[in-house]
Amino acid sequence: MDQKFIRNFSIIAHIDHGKSTLADRIIENTGLVASRDMKEQFLDNMDLERERGITIKLQTTRLVYRAKDGNEYIFNLIDTPGHVDFTYEVSRSLAACEGAVLVVDSTQGVEAQTMANVYLAINEDLEIVPCLNKIDLASSRPEEVKAEIEDMIGIDADDAPLVSAKEGTGIVDLLEAVVEKIPAPTGNPDGKLKALIFDSVYDNYKGVVIYARIYDGKLQEGDEILLMNSKKKYEVTEVGVMSPGHTPTKHLSAGDVGYIVASIKQVKDARVGDTVTLAGDPTETPLPGYKKVQSMVYCGIYPAEGEKYEGVKDALEKLQVNDAAFLFEPETSTALGFGFRCGFLGLLHMEIIVERLEREFGLAVVTTAPSVVYKVVMNDGREEMIQNPTNLPPLTEISHIEEPIVKADIMIPKDYVGTIMELCQERRGTMIHMEYVAGNRVQLHYEMPLNEVIYDFFDALKSRTRGYGSLDYEFIRYERSQLVKLDVLLNKDLVDAFSMIVHESRAYARGKFVCEKLKEIIPMHQFEVPIQAAIGQKVIARTTVRAYRKDVIAKCYGGDISRKKKLLEKQKEGKKRMRQFGKVEVPQEAFTAVLKYDNK
Amino acid sequence: MIINSGKNERTLGIYVHVPFCLSKCKYCGFYSQAEGDEKKTLSSTGDKAVAASPLTVEAYMKSLLEDIEEYSRVYEDCNFIVDTVFFGGGTPSILPYEFIGEIIAALRKGFTFVKGQPEISIEANPKTLTADKLKAYREYGINRLSIGVQSFDNRMLEFLGRAHRAEDAAETFKLAREQGFDNINLDLMFGLPNQTMNSWRDSLDKVLSLKPEHLSLYSLQLEEGTELFRMFENGEFAQLSDELDRDMYHYALERLNKEGYDHYEISNWALRKDLRCRHNLKYWDLSEYLGLGPSAASYVNGVRFSEEPGFEYRENSLEDNAAELAFTALRTGEGIDRQLFCERIGVSFEDVFPDIMKRLEEHARCGRLEIDDRFIRLTEKGIDTSNQIMSLFV
Repeated sequence: MDQKFIRNFSIIAHIDHGKSTLADRIIENTGLVASRDMKEQFLDNMDLERERGITIKLQTTRLVYRAKDGNEYIFNLIDTPGHVDFTYEVSRSLAACEGAVLVVDSTQGVEAQTMANVYLAINEDLEIVPCLNKIDLASSRPEEVKAEIEDMIGIDADDAPLVSAKEGTGIVDLLEAVVEKIPAPTGNPDGKLKALIFDSVYDNYKGVVIYARIYDGKLQEGDEILLMNSKKKYEVTEVGVMSPGHTPTKHLSAGDVGYIVASIKQVKDARVGDTVTLAGDPTETPLPGYKKVQSMVYCGIYPAEGEKYEGVKDALEKLQVNDAAFLFEPETSTALGFGFRCGFLGLLHMEIIVERLEREFGLAVVTTAPSVVYKVVMNDGREEMIQNPTNLPPLTEISHIEEPIVKADIMIPKDYVGTIMELCQERRGTMIHMEYVAGNRVQLHYEMPLNEVIYDFFDALKSRTRGYGSLDYEFIRYERSQLVKLDVLLNKDLVDAFSMIVHESRAYARGKFVCEKLKEIIPMHQFEVPIQAAIGQKVIARTTVRAYRKDVIAKCYGGDISRKKKLLEKQKEGKKRMRQFGKVEVPQEAFTAVLKYDNK
Repeated sequence: MIINSGKNERTLGIYVHVPFCLSKCKYCGFYSQAEGDEKKTLSSTGDKAVAASPLTVEAYMKSLLEDIEEYSRVYEDCNFIVDTVFFGGGTPSILPYEFIGEIIAALRKGFTFVKGQPEISIEANPKTLTADKLKAYREYGINRLSIGVQSFDNRMLEFLGRAHRAEDAAETFKLAREQGFDNINLDLMFGLPNQTMNSWRDSLDKVLSLKPEHLSLYSLQLEEGTELFRMFENGEFAQLSDELDRDMYHYALERLNKEGYDHYEISNWALRKDLRCRHNLKYWDLSEYLGLGPSAASYVNGVRFSEEPGFEYRENSLEDNAAELAFTALRTGEGIDRQLFCERIGVSFEDVFPDIMKRLEEHARCGRLEIDDRFIRLTEKGIDTSNQIMSLFV
C-alpha cells in the first residue's frame, strides 16, 4: 500500500463528549464491518469502561474508506484512554499518528481534559481536525463553541464538520476532512526498522500482542526483533493488521499500524513507548519519549476475612499480565496479615483494579489508605523512597521529607471559582494563575501536593461544581515539606493499615475526621472502644465507641423460638463482614470511608 | 427427633392464640385483628380487593375446635399429659367466656390432662373483664390470670395505643381477687419514649402495692410492621436512650429483689418458686408444646412448626436442639443446666460446644456470666447484652 493513501489518526475528546459513539459511526460509514458485528470490537469492552464512560484499554482498528476523490484510503484509527491517570499512554498513541480528530461537545464546549489532550497532540506535531458533536441537541451552540476552540486552542475551527454521532449526521464530512487535512505518513520503507509500541495486550494463545506504528523499514514473520529500551530480543511469529480482528499480513512497512506477535510472556516486557528494531540490523537512535511508567499512588491490597491469599495473588498476576502500569509485591501488615503493596498510575487506576478484583474474580479485598511516594532524606544524606507509611524510618534518623508536587489544571464554570479556590487552598494548593476563558469558564492553574489530590480531590471537585469541573494533573517535582505520620489506634492498639502521611498543618483536622468517621462505622462492642489519632506518642484526636448498653430480646413469648433465632442469626451475619483487630471488629468499608474527606 | 424424658408419659403444654383485640396496640407485633378492622372488612364483603377475608369469631372457633380434634388424633399415640394451657393473644378476654369454656372442654376431651391442677392461664386486658366472666373462668379451671397493665401513666398508655386508662388496671385486679384469683401476673413496659425514671418508679410502686404473685417487665421493642415502628421510621419520636432503659431495668431488679420477688427469667419475676409460669418455662428447656390458632408456634416431636400466617415447618437436627436449648436456657435464672443438657441432648455441653465454651469463659471473666460445675447463667450485667452471647449458638 502506497503510504500516501494511509491516514493514521486518533480521536481525542473529553469524557462523555461522544468519542466512542463517533468511532462506531466512522466504522459503519467505512462500510467494512456490518454494524451488528461491530459492537464487541469497538465499544469499550469492559463492563467497567461502559459504566464509567471511560476507555481503559486502547482499541485500534484499520478501516478502508473510499473518498470522494475516487481513491481508497486506509484509516488506522487509534483510540486513546480518556482519563487523567493515563496521560502517558495517550501521548504514545498520539505519537503513532499524524493527526487527531478533536471531538468537542457542542453543548458543553472545551473542557480541561480536552485542552490537556490537545496539548499532548500539539506536542506530537499532529494535525488537529476539530469537529462539533451532538449538534442534534437543542442546547447545541456550534458557533460559540467554534469561537472557543479558536480562542482557547488557537486552531481554525471554521470548517469544523458538524456531527451528530448519535444520529449519524455529518460523518462523511468528517471522513473527507481526515483525508484532506491529515498528512500521509512519510517514513522510509527501505530504512532500518523503527517502530513504536503504543499498546500491548495479553492473548491467551499468542502471548503478548504488540500494537505498533512502523516509522521506517519493514517487518515480517521470522525476523528477530530487538526492543531497544528493554534490550530484549524475540523472534516474530506473526504480523498483521486490526481490521478490526487480528488479520495476519505478510509484512508491515513504513507508515503502517499493525500488530506483532513474538512469544513475549508478559506485557511488562513490551512496554508502551519502547522502540522495536531488527536485532541483526538495528537503527542507531530509538524513538524519543520513552518513559518507564511511574506509579504515582500506592496502596495495600489484602484478602478480606475468609478470602485466600493465593486467590488474590493469582488474580493480581492475571491483571498485571495485561496492565504494565500496575505493580504489586508481597507485604505484610500487623493488622491485616499477608497482602500486597500495589502501585497505580492514579486513584482511578487503583479503583479500577480493585473493582476488577471484585467483579471479574469475585474476590473480597481490603484496601489500605492510598499513599504517594515520599522522598525521605536521612541524616546521613541517604535518600529513601517510601510508599508505605508504615515503613517510615524513625523520626530521629530523618533529616527531612519531600513530597511530590503536581501541576493541576482545573477548568470550571466561573460561578464555582470561589468554592474551588477554597477547596484548593484546603488542599494546600498554590495558585499559579487563573484565566477567564470563553463560555463563562475559568481555568485555574495550581501547584498542589499529590497527596492532597489523590484522596478525593476529583470527587470533591465534581460534587462542588455539579459535575462541570474537570481536572488534569502531572508530576513536576519533589518539594521539602512538613510531613508527619498519622497513626490510628483502636482500643489502644495501632492499626497500621490506617496509617497515613499528612502535612503537619492538616494532621489535626485529618485525625479528628478519621476518629469521627470510624466512630460512625465501628459497631458497638461489649466494651468501650477508644479511637485515637496520634503522631508518634502524641494523641491529637480521640473519640469513643461506647459499649453496648442494651442488646437483649425482652419479650420472647408464645414459644416462637424460630423468630428469635432468626434475629440472632441476623446479628451474627453482620459480624462476618467484619475484620478483627485485637478485640475490635471493624467493617471492611472503614478503610475506604476514612479517605472520603471532603464534607461539602 | 423425639425427646425422651425417660418416662412413658410426656408432658405437653398447649398454647391457644386468640387473635382478636378491642383495638390494635401500636407496639404489638403479634397476629391479631382489632374489632374495628373486623367490622370494616365485614361490611365490605363482596369487595374482591379484600382477598384475605377477615376472620370472624365464629370461623375462628370452628377451625380451632377442628384443629383440637385433629391434633388429638395425630398425637394419640404419644401419651401426652397436658399440664399447662395458656390462652394468649391478641386479647383472649374479649371472647365471650362461653367460648373459652368450649375450648377448654374440647381440649379436655381430646387430650389427657394431668391429675390435680394443670396450670391454665389466660391473658386479659383491663376493662375486658367482668365479675361474671371471671367467675366463669374459675369454673372452667382457669387458675392463673395475666393482666396487661403496661403502665400507670396515662400519657404512656395513650402513646402505646392502649384501650384502657391507668385507673382501670387496679380495678380489674381487685375484681379478679374478689373472684378468687390467687395467681395473678401483671405486665408492665419500660424504656418507652419520653418515659422518665420517676414515671417508671411510680408505675412500679403502684403495681407492687397490688401485691401480684407474678410480674413481667418488658423493655419496649420496636417490631417491624407495627405502627410504632412506622412512626419511628418517620421520625415521629426518639427512642429512649439505652442507658436510661437499662437503668430502669436495674432499678426494677433491685426493687423487686427487696420486695421478695424471685427473678427467674430475663423479663419475669415470681413471689415464690411455685408461682413461676410453668407454661412459659417450657419454652426455655426444650419441653414440648402445641400451639393452636393463627400464627401459633409449636415444638412437638423435635419439630418446630407454626400455623398460618407465618407458616413454618422445621425438623430440628440434634445441633438445632443443642443450640436452641443453650440460648433459650440462658434466659432463665438458673441458666444452662449442663446436667439437663446432657440428658436431653445425649452429649455433654462441652463436647457439643468446645469453642463456644472458651468464649463463654471469656465472658465470665468480664463478669457477664457465672459458670459453676453445673450451671452457666447470665449475670445481671450480662443480661443487658445477652444477644451477644446467645448469638454464639446460632
